[in-house]
Amino acid sequence: MSEQESAAGAASTVMETVRYDDAIVRKFVLATLLWGFVGMLVGVVLALQIAWWPANVTQYFTFGRLRPLHTNAVIFAFAGNAIFAAIYYSTQRLVKARMFNDLLSKIHFWGWQAIIVSAAVTLPLGFTQSHEYAELEWPIDVAITLVWVIFAVNFFGTLRNRRTKHMYVALWFYIATIVTVAVLHIFNNLVIPVTGIKSYPIYSGVHDALMQWWYGHNAVAFFLTTPFLGLMYYFMPKAAERPVFSYKLSIVHFWSLVFIYIWAGPHHLHYTALPEWASTLGMIFSIMLWMPSWGGMINGLLTLRGAWNKLRDSAILKFLVVGITFYGMSTFEGPMLSVKAVNSLSHYTDWTIGHVHAGALGWNGFMTFGMIYWLVPRLWKRDLFSEKLATTHFWLGTIGIVLYVISMWTAGITQGLMWRAFDETGRLMYPEFVDTVTQLMPMYWTRMIGGSMYLLGMILCVYNVLMTVKSAPKNLEDPEFKVARPTWKTASSKSKEAMPVMYDDMLDSLSAKLKGGAHRALEGWPAIFTVLTVMAIAVGSLVEIIPMMLVDSNVPTIKTVRPYTPLELAGRDIYIREGCVGCHSQMVRPMRDEIERYGDYSKPGEAIYDRPFLWGSKRTGPDLARVGGKYPHLWHVNHMRDPRDVKEQSLMPPYPWLLEQTLDTSALPKKLEVLSMLNTPYGLEQIDNAEKLAMDQAKEVATQIEAEGGPAGLEDKEIVALVAYLQRLGKDLKDAKMLKGTVISETEVDANDASNHSRQASK
Amino acid sequence: MDQYQDKILDHNYDGIQEFDNPMPGWWKAIFVLTVIWAAVYLIGIELNIIPRYGDDLKAGQDELLAMRQAHEKSQPKIVVDDAMLLAALGDADKLAQGKEVFLTNCASCHGNVAQGGIGPNLTDDFWLYGQKPIEIHKTISKGTANGMPPWESVLPPEEVVSLVVFVSSTRGTNPAGAKEPQGEKYDPPSKDSSETEKPDEKAPTPAEESKG
Repeated sequence: MSEQESAAGAASTVMETVRYDDAIVRKFVLATLLWGFVGMLVGVVLALQIAWWPANVTQYFTFGRLRPLHTNAVIFAFAGNAIFAAIYYSTQRLVKARMFNDLLSKIHFWGWQAIIVSAAVTLPLGFTQSHEYAELEWPIDVAITLVWVIFAVNFFGTLRNRRTKHMYVALWFYIATIVTVAVLHIFNNLVIPVTGIKSYPIYSGVHDALMQWWYGHNAVAFFLTTPFLGLMYYFMPKAAERPVFSYKLSIVHFWSLVFIYIWAGPHHLHYTALPEWASTLGMIFSIMLWMPSWGGMINGLLTLRGAWNKLRDSAILKFLVVGITFYGMSTFEGPMLSVKAVNSLSHYTDWTIGHVHAGALGWNGFMTFGMIYWLVPRLWKRDLFSEKLATTHFWLGTIGIVLYVISMWTAGITQGLMWRAFDETGRLMYPEFVDTVTQLMPMYWTRMIGGSMYLLGMILCVYNVLMTVKSAPKNLEDPEFKVARPTWKTASSKSKEAMPVMYDDMLDSLSAKLKGGAHRALEGWPAIFTVLTVMAIAVGSLVEIIPMMLVDSNVPTIKTVRPYTPLELAGRDIYIREGCVGCHSQMVRPMRDEIERYGDYSKPGEAIYDRPFLWGSKRTGPDLARVGGKYPHLWHVNHMRDPRDVKEQSLMPPYPWLLEQTLDTSALPKKLEVLSMLNTPYGLEQIDNAEKLAMDQAKEVATQIEAEGGPAGLEDKEIVALVAYLQRLGKDLKDAKMLKGTVISETEVDANDASNHSRQASK
Repeated sequence: MDQYQDKILDHNYDGIQEFDNPMPGWWKAIFVLTVIWAAVYLIGIELNIIPRYGDDLKAGQDELLAMRQAHEKSQPKIVVDDAMLLAALGDADKLAQGKEVFLTNCASCHGNVAQGGIGPNLTDDFWLYGQKPIEIHKTISKGTANGMPPWESVLPPEEVVSLVVFVSSTRGTNPAGAKEPQGEKYDPPSKDSSETEKPDEKAPTPAEESKG
């Protein structure tokens, strides 16, 4: 019996009736299944596109445009609906109160689905902010903010109406999720709209990168970790019918996790132009994050102590236990990959892809499936259609994950080692980038098989649930429970406490509140709990972001770095539209092999006009930071039309429509105006004449293409803008070197002089 | 398991209960160790005891330089001059190696059979940067201002020589789809072993060259 109930027992117990809103949970469960299927299907298509380029069909379904659709669908649609189902189901029961407002619940549900649909439409059309997991353009971001606020009001309103004084650990994690996701989403999406569906971020280059990975890493933390830990804390003890292993561990791992996680973002930017001090903070906090993460794993797994035999017969427990195990594995691998030396090998390779899928398929997916198989019979009042099918799903999924993860580890480590290999003469062993890719083909096919197995399991799950739902009673009513009216917030007890006459009374009342320990008291104060959570995430955020923004020496100026011309800017926006950043980085790391392969390493000052930054996080193709001037214009034209025309083994999709579609320059004046508002030095004349300037340069580029033996009449086509942009990449730094010593600081120049052989080698 | 008494706490949330077990000792120990490690690393890198990116890069590049110098010393130095290249022409091994290197590195611009594409046709009598083997060697090694990249840092010296041998062999092959002539006409070298009629100063400077 809980303490509040025993306290209530002393006074006269008044029973109240509460009806939990399970209809909304049913909706979220079905949406989880639908979007899970869609998101994973797109994932398998992407895997096929990498293994077999002809799977890129039409400009709307190329890898570059589908990748953000996949990540958004599985994160925000699949995992998102799953955590809403978990939160709506468990919160009502944990606080013994119906959701605050049914209308808000409905707006939340339908609003979220509308956002997903708009994502599924706009991303293939090429509307993207190019920030990973924050690709959706500004009008959708506004909608997300509104829906999230509605969700928050609904949730905190429910907490206010609670009939149990103290909040269970699951609710702590939900609170952390709701407030932190709001903060992350707002600050990473501060943009200035150009058109109804295009915007530029207020941050540029290094700052944009820091904000993005502060967001991106903590989207993993507070969208894919904390809500799933909350889910685990409810459904694991429910399914195992065992008490949670350690309350103390819950407290310590919650606060340490929330406080430390927020610092770790910069580990996504090791060896980039991000100043190293930020990287160092990101690394050391990632290491310290290891045990706080494992605290959740321990509490989840050890809850099953003495009941391991239940694992044999329960598909639900199988999913939950393996899910938690993958969580433990990923949260060990994460800190390991954050160590600079390890990251120097793993970054930009498939190792990262393997890592995130161990987490996403293993932890998020399996926890969701475990929850769904537990929930469905309770929500639809029917036994699951087939236990056997659920077990088959489990084994398909498990083998699928293992194939996926192992093939990506192998691919990542293989490619990382090939990139840095030198032969005995001191030359790159694999100067041809494509040689390091063709090597991985067997791994890409294996990955596709693993992913397909996982998808097949998902389909079995959908079938299983639908068959259960089909046999369910037609009129499912909200479940009704009798609960004691809480005495701790009734008028009589409140007025007694409200007016302490003496100082001693106040102390007495406080010590009574703290009887179960300070944290126990805190669990009874949701508002203070929430404020403390916000403070915990604010510390790391502010310590990293404020100095980076305010201290100029973080981004030393390079005088030759100029804003993009209007045509280059148009080309850059095409580069963004096509999702080139999904496969090509623009960030040469300060490593000897990268300098050999691509040219001088990237400097912070080079990116000051990059809105958004396009450093990338994966190299399926080579880095492009130094590609400007490396090939003739015609090479790029031919390459975009048919990559295999210039590189036989290439797996890049062809982009023939760039040679056919007319370049739209109409938004250029507005684009320049917005950028000049953000301190890009465009003059008024340039802004007013942006279209003409673009067309003039387009003519020059087209003439050159024709002179090189290419097709005529390209001057008004999109390809010309893209070529102009690509030819600009890295050019400013080359100009700087011609004025060496006078424009960039000594250290920046010296660091590259160690090798006089730093020529570009790869294709 | 003795340390875990499994004492049930007076908490009950929808039937979920919690034990008052302590945190596992190994968990606390590793947590403390990671915090200490973090502090040590932070101090170490601030005091320049732990190398930073720049230090690692310098060390790596020095090592590379030493590797290259050692290799150069250990190899009989390849002296590339007219006589050496002329002697190499027609060498079957070098021709085969040159062809392979050409297909990997050059074909994307010059065509699979050197018929030309983005780059000039290498099978006709017209040359932009000179036709003598030593001139071809220089063009390959140093690149040109018109988009030809320098290859001396990518290809080992013997491969550049082989490439010269291969490129010299394609002349007069008249492949299908050959690109129109670019540059200055030179008489085929076959009629005379010496190249006296075209003195060195005739080698055009890249700046004067315009694409055809």
